Amino acid sequence: MQVVTENEINWPAALRASDSADQAAAVSELRGLLHAGLRVALNGRSDVSEAHLEDFAQESLLRVLDRLDQFQGRSKFTTWAQAIALNVAFTELRRKRWQDVSLDALMADGERITEPTMIADDAFGADEDRTHLVKVLRSAIENDLTPKQRAAIMGELREMPFDQIVELLGTSRSAAYKMLHDARRALKQRLLEAGITGADIQNAF
Amino acid sequence: MKPEDKRLTSEQVGSIVKMLSLTRDREFNCGECLQHVSEFAECQLANKPVGEIIASVEQHLALCPECREEYEALMKILKAGQ
Ligand SMILES: [Zn+2]
Repeated sequence: MQVVTENEINWPAALRASDSADQAAAVSELRGLLHAGLRVALNGRSDVSEAHLEDFAQESLLRVLDRLDQFQGRSKFTTWAQAIALNVAFTELRRKRWQDVSLDALMADGERITEPTMIADDAFGADEDRTHLVKVLRSAIENDLTPKQRAAIMGELREMPFDQIVELLGTSRSAAYKMLHDARRALKQRLLEAGITGADIQNAF
Repeated sequence: MKPEDKRLTSEQVGSIVKMLSLTRDREFNCGECLQHVSEFAECQLANKPVGEIIASVEQHLALCPECREEYEALMKILKAGQ
């Protein structure tokens, strides 16, 4: 196989080549590209070793090959593949980081974020509009969200990684995102009903 | 736990407000963002205007720190390859 430049190679076709030697060459070339990209992206991180880079490159390669049918040609193939590789690597690194947090601490955090929320009105000084906004927001968080929606919103506010929120909710990534999205829409709707416009929201902080 | 631990700080209220101001009825989830982020990144790199579909990527990145972290890493790779 002649790999010269990005413009001259049809990656999906090469990776599906019926000639097994051609196919193996394309796979190997792609693996090298992903590995090099990951090295650039993760350069300087103390939690990433050479062995990790190898693992990430291999796992990414399999993921890309598995999703070949989803490539729509709307970007360069290599950019699309690198994005998948980064998703594989960062998801794993986040998981490792949170693995070190004890189960007890997680449980405590989980319990804490499902408790009713209190927002101190006095934290916002005398500005009437802002006080009104905070009041409506507090009431909406406490009354208009399901416990799981509240947990998801509070998790986000505590800067908990999204995968961790997903785990806490015991659901899938897309279901958790939908839960969070529905919660944000419900809060926004409540603010609008209370006469707080999008512009007010943007101006308040 | 002290009662004030359960309060939201002004900073957190600011975060909610920012989240709400960015909220749209239709949004990409993380999977959809991943599917289109490569196109968005190439447009950004080439200073090309983004179309309607990939504008949803920009909106998702503003709300999702994880996807943003991965996007920034992708830009690092693309810039290194220029
Ligand atoms: Zn995301």
